[in-house]
Amino acid sequence: MEWKCVSPGDRPDGEIVLSGDFDLYNAPRFSAYALRGIADGWTGLTLDMGGVEYLDSTGVGSIIRLSQALRAKGGRLRVRGLNDTPRRVLKLSNILPIIEEIR
Amino acid sequence: MSEARSAKPLIVRKLIVDERNELFDARAMRSLEFVSDFSRIREYAAVILEPCPDAFKEGSLLEQQLSEIIKNGIKHGNRCDPSKRLRVWFDFRKRVRFIVEDEGEGFAGLDDWNDFYRRRQEALHNQDLDAFLALASYRGPRSDDSDGGNSLIAALEYWNGGMIYNEARNKVGVVRWYTGGSAHGAERSTTR
Repeated sequence: MEWKCVSPGDRPDGEIVLSGDFDLYNAPRFSAYALRGIADGWTGLTLDMGGVEYLDSTGVGSIIRLSQALRAKGGRLRVRGLNDTPRRVLKLSNILPIIEEIR
Repeated sequence: MSEARSAKPLIVRKLIVDERNELFDARAMRSLEFVSDFSRIREYAAVILEPCPDAFKEGSLLEQQLSEIIKNGIKHGNRCDPSKRLRVWFDFRKRVRFIVEDEGEGFAGLDDWNDFYRRRQEALHNQDLDAFLALASYRGPRSDDSDGGNSLIAALEYWNGGMIYNEARNKVGVVRWYTGGSAHGAERSTTR
């Protein structure tokens, strides 16, 4: 999986575009990256997942950890561009209630 | 999520131990054995699913769910010990069935997990977001960054015909039924 931060540096909210497999081999590195951004100042975060076709439980766990970190700062995780299978994985995991989906 | 109770009924599924369950009947199932290599989990799932009809795969959902079971066996069961094997029986006729057995000490935290899941579902039912977020991921004594802590939650929903453990808790049987599925699959046993 690859990702790119596309949010301007002077904004309090981060935005990251992801592509590839959000899985057990990639999610831990992504979590570390995004959690560092939250620790360094992001109070909100948008994940553009339009390029993600595969999401597993480690990826879901990453999303949960980001949600928890943002909630602790009064913020919320937003997700854009969910493809069908990742959406079904999130639904099966009962995680959709804790994320805000945007168009 | 407001702090109110959902109008939907509270449904709490459980991981069940039932040694004699029909899901452990491996007759007429094909099987493969794998070394406990964490880096090859998704590759193993892909190999097992080669003969599976596309109609059962639901995009990458079946591969993902099978990979989770394989990961649990290799990582938590066999603790990635290369001398320990993972054996997978599979059957794609009319539905998808797997039996996955590792050589580890068994899922000792099964009852704790059921308790965790009950509390998680109650928090969701009560629409208590803080409690739900705190319980969103299961953390066992050996959980690390590669453990999302939610694979069994999705598995209980996905394996709509059952998910059963043996008494030693190192073997799990699962089945997913499909509406309008057709008969497929041959019968043979293979060691890889």
